[in-house]
Order: sequence, then structure tokens, then C-alpha cells
Amino acid sequence: MKQARRWLLLAAALMLVPQAAYAQKKKPKGGNANPPPAAAPAAPAPADADAPAPAAPATGAAGGDQTGATPAPGAAGGDQTGATPPAAGGDQGGMDVCQITPDAPQCAAAKEINFGEEAKKQVHAEVYAVQQQYVLRAQRFEIQPYFNFTLNDQFVSHNGPGLALNYYITQVLAIGVDGVWYGGLNGESDFNFQNRRAARIAVPLNNYQFSADLNFTYVPMYGKFAGFGDFIFNYDVFISGGGGIIRTQPVSVIDPDNRKFTDWNNLVNFDLGIGFRIFFTRWLAAVLEVRDLMFFDRLENTNVSILPPTDPNGPLNPNGQVPWLDPDTHFTNDVQLQLGLSIFLPTSFEYRLPK
Amino acid sequence: MKRRFVSAVLAAAAAAGVLAAAPRRAEAQEIQLTGPLKGAPAVRHQRLYREGRFELDPVFSFTLLDEYRRTILVGPRLNYNIKDWIAIGGFFYYGAISTTTDLSDQINAKAPRDALTAINMNHAGGNCGTAQPCTAASFADQTAKMQWVGALQATFIPFRGKLAIFNKIFLDTDFYVAAGGAMVGIQERSNCGGSGQKTCADPASFALQSTNKIAPTFGVGFDFFGGNWWSLNVEYRALPFSWNRSGFDSRGSGTNGNFPDGQVNGQDETFKFNMMISVGLGFFLPTKPAISE
Repeated sequence: MKQARRWLLLAAALMLVPQAAYAQKKKPKGGNANPPPAAAPAAPAPADADAPAPAAPATGAAGGDQTGATPAPGAAGGDQTGATPPAAGGDQGGMDVCQITPDAPQCAAAKEINFGEEAKKQVHAEVYAVQQQYVLRAQRFEIQPYFNFTLNDQFVSHNGPGLALNYYITQVLAIGVDGVWYGGLNGESDFNFQNRRAARIAVPLNNYQFSADLNFTYVPMYGKFAGFGDFIFNYDVFISGGGGIIRTQPVSVIDPDNRKFTDWNNLVNFDLGIGFRIFFTRWLAAVLEVRDLMFFDRLENTNVSILPPTDPNGPLNPNGQVPWLDPDTHFTNDVQLQLGLSIFLPTSFEYRLPK
Repeated sequence: MKRRFVSAVLAAAAAAGVLAAAPRRAEAQEIQLTGPLKGAPAVRHQRLYREGRFELDPVFSFTLLDEYRRTILVGPRLNYNIKDWIAIGGFFYYGAISTTTDLSDQINAKAPRDALTAINMNHAGGNCGTAQPCTAASFADQTAKMQWVGALQATFIPFRGKLAIFNKIFLDTDFYVAAGGAMVGIQERSNCGGSGQKTCADPASFALQSTNKIAPTFGVGFDFFGGNWWSLNVEYRALPFSWNRSGFDSRGSGTNGNFPDGQVNGQDETFKFNMMISVGLGFFLPTKPAISE
């Protein structure tokens, strides 16, 4: 048995070690054999988004506000600001890069480019700000675990963990479900007590148990940032909205001696949110979202029965002369801040169009 | 012993294989590091919207999560951008509009004015007994107001990028963090109940008096550059300090001073993480930005 374990380890080592060699680019025979198709105006992007970008040189205008390490060949990239950088293999900063690194791919390419023929080629002149989006969302699932913080309720907080599951039908539109669990995490604030004691006035409070919604998500904005002028990260902004249910229950603050609320009210809610997603990889992002959960809440009745407790219609009867619940509903906005992660599945994807 | 050694060597070899096989992407980075882009900046020919330029913003600020009173402040913010990533400056906002919250309105409408609330609820005198209440006066008149905010601050701009909206509108953007010190002019209920002071049940004790607070301030925001010389600015700002926003006597005696002591003074101030959202329109001088290499 111990022998078998050793053989397994040996086999694993033999299988894994050569992969490092496979990942290395094959050195061209004779130095510049088989140069990359740098002059092609629409050089295909790597099929796998996670694969390294080809070191294709620029052939036309490729300066401007470039944020990618590899300028797009042919048409000017959307990142550009109109400045014209040196042609591939040309003099950069007063020094010919090919003198320093003659093996650099663009040095080989430069020798073989026929600029006259290149100039005659049709160029698709349409330019996008970000020509190839860092993340393709279409037909991918998004799992979004998060924690929810109350923003606007100073009397009782409704914090809790949540989970959203979305499916992106297109690059910008998703449908999904979203749920938050508040049970056991509602917290009454000291501020509420101070008001009751000073002004002899109580504000009806409610605890929440959970909310569940069917949502649509739309992604109207995306972009990227250069951090400290060094690294680059991508982000998008999304809005989401939908409807569902929320379960709430009054906290007995008006007549706590007689009213003990045990039943939860199932209420219809509508929600609307705006979020910001920062991508760490093509499948993992941090999410910050502000969402307003709107519903007509059932609150504790601020009127109190003056009948004796022994009376069948007295204060101990939830549906007595003065019902425990206020007969009117109250429009409530529960504004939440959600912080979480976004995980896209499958984790990789293929670009359909060239970069 | 020998078997253990052999197993350890094989395990180490396997681990080395895993480590060597894993960083395929790092090898792609290696190409960049040794290629023509070695040492190249992440962004070339970048418009340096800030470096060496003054920025003047007329700003509208809206306070958030107010308990008793909301304030809309307006005023100028001036920055000098030493580099594209750092600026120094300041702002002065004046509280132009101050309105009560729904809670204030509810308290004003429903809270009793009697002997039990006479030191906490504004009233216009009267018997103030349990049988005959005081004459009610506006609760809003006793709630504290933010009158102005002035600050000096440094702004750090770590992120610079761009934004596509509906794939039609393209904007250069940056994200910044600002921090500094602020002086805040407020009006809050004057001290009462102490020696030489009015009693807190005296209607005159509910009058507000002006005072200043010194507080740290910090904010984060986005600039959206619509052109070479102007930008739209959205900012979140915090201004934490303690003040008595309701004018209540809520602390000063008992365990940890958590019970009313019949006086309104500094002990009744509570810490508040005052927050605001600001929207501004930035104008940059000189009007033409520099372009990086």
C-alpha cells in the first residue's frame, strides 16, 4: 500500500512537471521564423479570455490613452486620444527597440509589412471606448453572496446575509432571484429609547424575518480604472429592480404589557437598486449596492384599549375593541447597503469578435 | 527513514510540478516585461486633467440620515492639483435650506407638553401641571441646525479611468479620497439647569445659541470629465462630531451618566457620524490639460 502511494506521487510529479514546458512559447527556429501576423487588421483575439494576449504590434495609429499593454492593430482603439505613437519596431523614445531586443516580435514583423498594401485594406472605423469588454456576462450565471446593512432606519436596524442568483440573458440584461434573511439580527437603537423617555412618544417598530424578490438587472455602464497609474481594473454599474415578498412583525412598544406579537405578516414589496461591481478576475468581483425595498407595512396600533384585560374585547384580544395592528398600512422604504462578492459561472468564456 | 525520505522527495517533486505548471499567465507577463513594453506606463498619452490646474466647484450638499433636521448646503470648493494624483484645497458650505424630518413633525404634533416633558419639549409657558398642560411651542425651534462648514483638506486621486454609458457616452473619470480638518458652525439648545443658568423648564431655555465644532472630515468621490475644462462631481462626505440635535436632557446622572439630570449641557451631546452627498460642477484652469508621455 505504501509502495502504491509512492508510485502515485511519482506519477503525479512526472505528469505535472512537463506542463511548465508546454506553457512556454516555442522559440522560432532560426530566430525569426513564423512571425506573428502583426499586419493583419483584424487579428483574432485569443479564444480563451484568460489566455495571454498576443504581443501584436501596432500598425496604424495606436497612441492615445491606451490602457492595454497590447494596442489593437489597424483601427485606432477607443482608448486613444488622438496622439500618434511610433510605428511598430520604430524608434521609441529616441532609441530603436529592435537594437536592444532584436528578437522582439514586432521587429520581425516590421521587416515584412508592406505598408502600401496595408493602407489599401478596409478598416472598420467604428471605435468603442473599451473595445473588448473585460468580462462577458451573456449566458453566464452570477452567484452573489452579500451582507446587508440598514441605511435609513434609525429606530431598528435590519441587517442580515443575502444571496442573489442571476442569469444574464444578454451582455446587459439578467433575470434572477434575491433573498435576505433578517431573522434574529434586527436591533433596536438607543436613539429610539431616548426619544421615548424624553418626549413621551413612541414610534411603532417592526422586525423583519426575510425578503425574497424576483429581479431584473440591467448594466448600462462599464469602464476601467488605472490604479496609481500602474495596474488596471475593470468595473461596471448596474441597476436592478423587481418585486417579491417580505415578512414583518411588529415589536410591542405601545402596549408591551398586553400585546405579544407572534404572527408574521406577508407583504408584497418592490425593490430598486443601483450597484457597482469591481472585477478582480473575469469571474470574481466585489459588489457594492444600494437598494430600496418598498412596501406597505403593518404597524402596531398606537391606540390602546382602556377595557380591563379580563374583557373578551379588551387589550389581550388581538382583534378586540382596539386591534393590535393599525388598520391602516404605512408605506415603508427600507434602504439597504449591500456588500458582497459576485461569482460568474462558467468561470471562462470565449470572445466571439476580435479584439 | 529511507522510505520517508523518498516519499518526501517525491512529494516535493509533485509540489514543484504543480507550482511550475500553475503560473501560465505569469509567463505571458514575462513576455511583456522583457519586450518592447518593458517599463512602459499602464496608460500612455493620458490627459492629465488635474496636474498643475486649479479646480473651482460650486457644490450642493445634502445631509443624510438626519434624525430631526435636514440641511442643504451650498458653497465653493477650491483645489490646486499639485500632481495628477494629489491636490490641496478647501471648501466653505453654507446651510441654505434647513427642514424638519417626519420624526420632528410627529413629535411636534403628538408629544404631550406637561410637567413630565417640560424640560424637553418646547413650550410657551402656562401651568405645566399634570392636569393642565403647557402651551405648546414648535419642537422644530429647539432642534439643532448646521449653519456652515469650512474645511481644509488634501485630496488623493488613486484611480483614473473611463466610463462607457449605454455604449454611447464615453467619459474620463477619476476616483478620489479627501481628508482634512473642518470647522462647523452649528446652533443648538443653550445650556440650562446649571448654576447661574435658566432652569430647563423655562420657555426661554429652548432658544438656540451658536457654537462651533472642530471635526475631522473625509470624503470619497467621482469626477466625470465632460470636457477638457469641466467635470461633474459626486461625493460622499463624513463629518463626525458630537452635538445635541434634539435639545433633550438625556444624560448626566445615574449609572455611566445615562440618565437625565435636569440640565442640558455638553453631557447631552451624542456622537453623530454626520454624512452628506455632494454634487458639484468643476471648472479647471488653465482650460487645456497636459498630455502624459
